[in-house]
Amino acid sequence: MTQRAETAGLTLNAMESMLVDRLKSGSNAYYFALLVTGLMMLAGAIAGLQATVGGHHVYYGVSRQIPWGILISTYVYFAITSTGICLVSSIGHIFGVKAYMPIAKRAVFLSIITLSAGFLVIAAEIKVPIRMLVYNIISPNFTSNIWWMGALYGLALGVMIFEFIFLLLGKYKLAVACGFVAVVGELAANSNLAGVFGLLNGREFWHGPYLPIFFIASGVMVGCSCLILFHLWAERINEGPLHPGMPDCLSAIRKVAILMICVIAFFTIWRTVATLAGHPDGQYVGVMAMLTGEYSLSFWGGEILLSLLIPLGLYLFSKGTNMKLMLTAAILMLIGVFFMRHNMVIVGQVIPVFQGLGVTGSTELLKYSPTVHELMIVVGGFGFVGFMFLLGEKIFNGYPVEDHH
Amino acid sequence: MRLILTTILCSSIFLLAGAATTLAEGDYPEDIYYMKPVIGVVFSHQLHVEDNGMDCDSCHDGIFEMEARLAENEESFTMAGLADGEFCGACHDGDTAYDANTRCTTCHVGVIGYSRAHGLVNEEGPAHH
Amino acid sequence: MKNLKNLDKMTNEGVDNCSVEERRHFLKMGLTVTGVFAGGTILSAVSSVNKVYASTSGFVEKYPYKPHYSMIMHIENCIDCEKCKSACAETNGVPSYGFRTNILERQVAGALDQQREFIPVLCNHCNLAQCTRVCPTKATYKDPNNGIVMMNIEKCIGCLSCQLGCPYNARYFNEEKWAVDKCTFCWESRLSKGAKTTGCSEACPAGVRIFGDLSNPSDRVYKEVHQMTKTVWVLRPQAGTKPNVFYTRG
Ligand code: HEC
Ligand code: HEC
Ligand code: HEC
Repeated sequence: MTQRAETAGLTLNAMESMLVDRLKSGSNAYYFALLVTGLMMLAGAIAGLQATVGGHHVYYGVSRQIPWGILISTYVYFAITSTGICLVSSIGHIFGVKAYMPIAKRAVFLSIITLSAGFLVIAAEIKVPIRMLVYNIISPNFTSNIWWMGALYGLALGVMIFEFIFLLLGKYKLAVACGFVAVVGELAANSNLAGVFGLLNGREFWHGPYLPIFFIASGVMVGCSCLILFHLWAERINEGPLHPGMPDCLSAIRKVAILMICVIAFFTIWRTVATLAGHPDGQYVGVMAMLTGEYSLSFWGGEILLSLLIPLGLYLFSKGTNMKLMLTAAILMLIGVFFMRHNMVIVGQVIPVFQGLGVTGSTELLKYSPTVHELMIVVGGFGFVGFMFLLGEKIFNGYPVEDHH
Repeated sequence: MRLILTTILCSSIFLLAGAATTLAEGDYPEDIYYMKPVIGVVFSHQLHVEDNGMDCDSCHDGIFEMEARLAENEESFTMAGLADGEFCGACHDGDTAYDANTRCTTCHVGVIGYSRAHGLVNEEGPAHH
Repeated sequence: MKNLKNLDKMTNEGVDNCSVEERRHFLKMGLTVTGVFAGGTILSAVSSVNKVYASTSGFVEKYPYKPHYSMIMHIENCIDCEKCKSACAETNGVPSYGFRTNILERQVAGALDQQREFIPVLCNHCNLAQCTRVCPTKATYKDPNNGIVMMNIEKCIGCLSCQLGCPYNARYFNEEKWAVDKCTFCWESRLSKGAKTTGCSEACPAGVRIFGDLSNPSDRVYKEVHQMTKTVWVLRPQAGTKPNVFYTRG
């Protein structure tokens, strides 16, 4: 309540010393985490620069028929997570459901940094980023999903930054207005991201209208886990409970997570059954590669166990009160979903386009394995999220919660 | 492309040398791959001698020399030449054997077939780039 | 069982016993199928007499460009000598790690006549091109006059979505140009300078690649596509992009 008055009356110098004080208040573990995530970021930045200067074809494992590698799947991971966080937090913050209110500020901040991480990672995959900045604006193609996705995510990012500033300044009406625009923008951007894959008739593995729904549902699912993880982590950093309403809030988020896990499991089952029933050209081999083939470990282990079944069990068992179980569930899901995104992006491309023609070499799946540089950039993306989160906790003083509306 | 051509040329020289040294009595040489005027025409002694029971004289008595790829130097070693009854066309005229003007890919295995036979990696394989 | 026995006893009626109407009907059916194969654009294909359709309105709309560049492949003649590939590389400066056109091989072990066939592929310059739809900056676009799918390399950001949008693997990233590169029917290197055919078509020693104008009834490609004695098809019709490269045998 008093923070607003404080900030308003501060001189620049006083603000600086206040920030320094806050940053100095961390524990040893805090600084260690800051160092580790900082180094991760640095590694990613070095790898990204080297590859951009030296040429992607030298440093990346992508190829003519698999032009999108782990960097795209990581981008997809971060972008969808950002949407998920934005949607879950909007339940309280925009639509006024009380239980979800305490997370508002941190959630907006998390949504901003995950999306930024996504943009940083994809900047390393776009071959000529400079032309992107220019021609996306002066030569837009309105039939292109990738254009809409970029524009809408860009818009959402900008609006969320304003939303966050308004929240800090206590201008709640403006913040809610921005928040609403951000939710709509994120939703539209997210479904266009799905459209980037789902509208390609020539790639049967992705093709179809179900991807956008899948993206949003799975986004909410990871968004929940992400919020649970970072709030429990924040409790550690701040050495104490964040807000009296927080346990109830996390328990409510847990319920949404459980619901969404069921939705995604349902989707996964029916996608699989549909493919097994009809052997659709171009899809069947992909699904089989995940069920029994080369991608079976990452499918059963990552996509099914880590992101769906184990978190489902743990969330149920935790009853919303056992925070250790919930934390474990959240971490496992965030790892598992990484595989889920990777499978989606890669398996869609390893099926040769001329497979239906039965030409030589087209019966086998193509191969892609990420290079060290690609992996370092991925690590850098995660480092960025961690680093910014840690900084944010101190700079914004653990996001003190005020009641509004 | 130039790179492929040079590799192909180099390896065919090795093949030439190899085939000449490995020949034993009553034996016949390995498959011969012609490179000119087009890459990838295969001639198989095994197929003609063993599977179709021809004797050496049916070819090595005027039609072909006993030296691999010598025919390449002749002007008439083309489809037009074959149609006039030269070289393979002596038999592949639709009478003795099927007409050279049909079933093109029995003789022509192409750059792909040539590369495969010589263990050269095909560009469009599952490998990178 | 009974039916089967009867079937055995049946004799072939032969074509002679078949009425003209029946034959027409049958041929029409075949035509529809061909039309579907050809991406739905040439449902109105007719045997070599083409006046019937030239006068129908709507026909012109099916070939929206003038000239409507197109190619038909006589694949049974393709011997994978790859002279087309070298000519293409030379004409258009295609680097060794990429290609604008390629030859695929299909092997059928049990086939009686020959056990392989070669299938030349290149950009199909589709009427409903996906590459141009997905390009965020209009770096790749359909030329409004001749329908060629072109590249404006200045605008290419290298997101490579066009490579994924293409059902024919016709695109690659050219590291020297810093842009995606693809077949343009030799527009820059030849057609725009007055040449009548593409480099690959000219280099082919076996007459496989016939280049022409699908909007011109006296053109060879037009005639070969608009007939029904020989099957004409396109690759991956189910991708729905209405390609302009046709395939036939004989
Ligand atoms: C159907 C025709 C045919 C028959 C039958 C045939 N050859 Fe040949 N042979 C060829 C041709 C063609 C060449 C290559 C000549 C050229 O390229 O100018 C060749 C080349 C050779 C060479 C040179 C190979 C090299 O690597 O330099 C030898 C040795 C040879 N034949 C031996 C035999 C023997 C031994 C037999 C009988 C068992 C035989 N050939 C039967 C067609 C035949
Ligand atoms: C002396 C006659 C003769 C000559 C010369 C000859 N062939 Fe043959 N070839 C045959 C006969 C006979 C057959 C088997 C009958 C058939 O398939 O029609 C055959 C079969 C083949 C086949 C196997 C086709 C299949 O069914 O798979 C190939 C390939 C072939 N010849 C290539 C060549 C080439 C290339 C040359 C020239 C370099 C050549 N032949 C010269 C007689 C000849
Ligand atoms: C009996 C084997 C045989 C068959 C069948 C055959 N060829 Fe050839 N072809 C040859 C030989 C031998 C050469 C000359 C060697 C070379 O170019 O490597 C040749 C050369 C050629 C050449 C380059 C020289 C020229 O004449 O322009 C072309 C083009 C060609 N063939 C096309 C075809 C086509 C098209 C078919 C099918 C209609 C076909 N060939 C069937 C054996 C055959």
